[in-house]
Amino acid sequence: MGDTILELKNISKSFDGKKILDDLCLNIEKNEFVTLLGPSGCGKSTLLRIIGGFVKPDHGQVYFEGGDITSLPPERRQVHTVFQKYSLFPHMNVADNVAFGLKLKKKSRDYIAEKVRYAMRLVNMEGYEERMTTSLSGGQQQRIAIARAIVNEPKMLLLDEPLGALDLKLRHEMQRELMRIKQEVGITFVYVTHDQEEALTMSDRIVVMNQGIIQQMGTSKSIYDEPQNAFVADFIGDSNIINGIMIRDRLVMIHGVEVECVDEGFDPNEAVDVVIRPEDLVIGKKDSGFTNGIVTNLIYKGAYYDISVAAGDYEWSVQSNVPAAVNSEVGLFIDPENIQIMKKPRSSDEEVIDKLG
Amino acid sequence: MDKVMNRRSVLSGPYVVWALGFTVIPLIVIIKYAISDRTGAFTLSNILAIFDPVNLKALIFSLEIAIGCTVVCILLAYPLVLAISRLKFARSGFMLVILILPMWMNFILKLLAWQMILSSNGILNMIIRAAGITGFDISNTPISIMIGVIYEYFPYMVLPVFDAVIAIDADVIEAARDLGAKKGTVFWKIIFPLSLPGLMSGITMVFVPSMTSFVTADILGGGKLQLVGNIIEQEFIQSMNWNLGAGLSVALMIFILISMTFTVKKDEREEEEAW
Repeated sequence: MGDTILELKNISKSFDGKKILDDLCLNIEKNEFVTLLGPSGCGKSTLLRIIGGFVKPDHGQVYFEGGDITSLPPERRQVHTVFQKYSLFPHMNVADNVAFGLKLKKKSRDYIAEKVRYAMRLVNMEGYEERMTTSLSGGQQQRIAIARAIVNEPKMLLLDEPLGALDLKLRHEMQRELMRIKQEVGITFVYVTHDQEEALTMSDRIVVMNQGIIQQMGTSKSIYDEPQNAFVADFIGDSNIINGIMIRDRLVMIHGVEVECVDEGFDPNEAVDVVIRPEDLVIGKKDSGFTNGIVTNLIYKGAYYDISVAAGDYEWSVQSNVPAAVNSEVGLFIDPENIQIMKKPRSSDEEVIDKLG
Repeated sequence: MDKVMNRRSVLSGPYVVWALGFTVIPLIVIIKYAISDRTGAFTLSNILAIFDPVNLKALIFSLEIAIGCTVVCILLAYPLVLAISRLKFARSGFMLVILILPMWMNFILKLLAWQMILSSNGILNMIIRAAGITGFDISNTPISIMIGVIYEYFPYMVLPVFDAVIAIDADVIEAARDLGAKKGTVFWKIIFPLSLPGLMSGITMVFVPSMTSFVTADILGGGKLQLVGNIIEQEFIQSMNWNLGAGLSVALMIFILISMTFTVKKDEREEEEAW
């Protein structure tokens, strides 16, 4: 635990009587790329603003490298923020924007010039120094915003949906850029997004949030493969979430059919949520799978087909490399390893989450 | 396309009539009077009369009053704007209405009220005496003229500055703080430079009328302190020398236009630098 750079302890925050963050605890390690992921209103941006010093929590403490910074104003923190709307200074040219923080620290001209040159090279914007920020494209402005923060050598960079305003292609390009920059400067990144694909691509660790509490924390793979509740399963990627009954260990009943799985540790006949990823379902001949269904819809998505299969009153979502004829009756297969069993939500918070899902 | 344009240009008809009738034609008449003597012969002496010691003294006094009022308005406007801009929308709207409220009242009426407040036996002098300061009478001083002028034109400074400040993105201010700027630095490096266009229109709207507010000088200055506007008024009304009055008006207009090009020039230069 010696490598912890930031510690959030029992953070609570309400706005106008509405609870945004509820007794939240989170540790962030040095040089980690942590992503706070969740739908809008889940509290992720508020949490970032608490780390940045723009919002003071109602309860709880923020420790930075062991010191309590809960009441420290933003200008005295060693973290810098990259805002969603870039927020460049419109009355200054690019170089003056980037040099802003260093000039405030009264560094020498040569030092500033050197650092600005380095930062501009880092974000691939050499030659734009004299340009006005308003004449740049969104992607270029965001690069300058990143340079403006990084040039001050913060120990931690906070990124508040920095790619949210960019188009898809540019967003992918900037994701790779960000990972490269992160590697080159070797500082901690705390990244906020509602885009699960972005989170899965870049993060060392993802913190899935909803209703002001952390739903699950872990690597991209563990979050995707083993969601801990229906909210996470539904939010990360597409999922079939079905009511099931755990007959006994390694055997679950779905829609009246007993299916083998690999999960253990539930009460006999306990009601559970069963999560099956669409890409894990395989379409085969009628009567040979665990259930039969009628193909109701077929959409070509480029890399795969998106197929809907109606079985009883449930419509399965299947992703497959091979098409299936609409209106044909097919069987569905699933590998026991790919079935994820989750306990039904108990707390009211989780219930709200379930309804949202 | 052309037809649409024609129909649109019809809409500007009332404005064209207004501009011709109340600005362009009177201006031509004034200039014609200014460059001719009583017999109608061409002369520049009416315009150059601004350099007569009496007139020049009034011009300089007007300039002092105008600069003083403009500076005081700026110094009062910024703290007020910063305070109001932080309020929630409904409250800031209420504050602005309070500020604008006196503008709905008749100008002369307000001046007469100020005349009573600022008179030798008025409230202000009573307070000054009660504070133990003797031998000072605020009535009929340049200060009382300035109070009247500032009271009248202060909203014209606040509103454009407020518009400029409120337009600054809150994120930009947060970004500055995030990069290490304390509140004072945020003001001087971010808020003030970004509010300059508003400040410029504020200055134009306060400075120019302050220079010529002869009614204020008449009522609050006791008729002894003369702005250049008072002299022009006297030439027209008392001396009935329309040529000289028009000449001084034109000289004043030229002077104001020159000082305004300075502010506009400054604006342009900044924009060029910015690019």
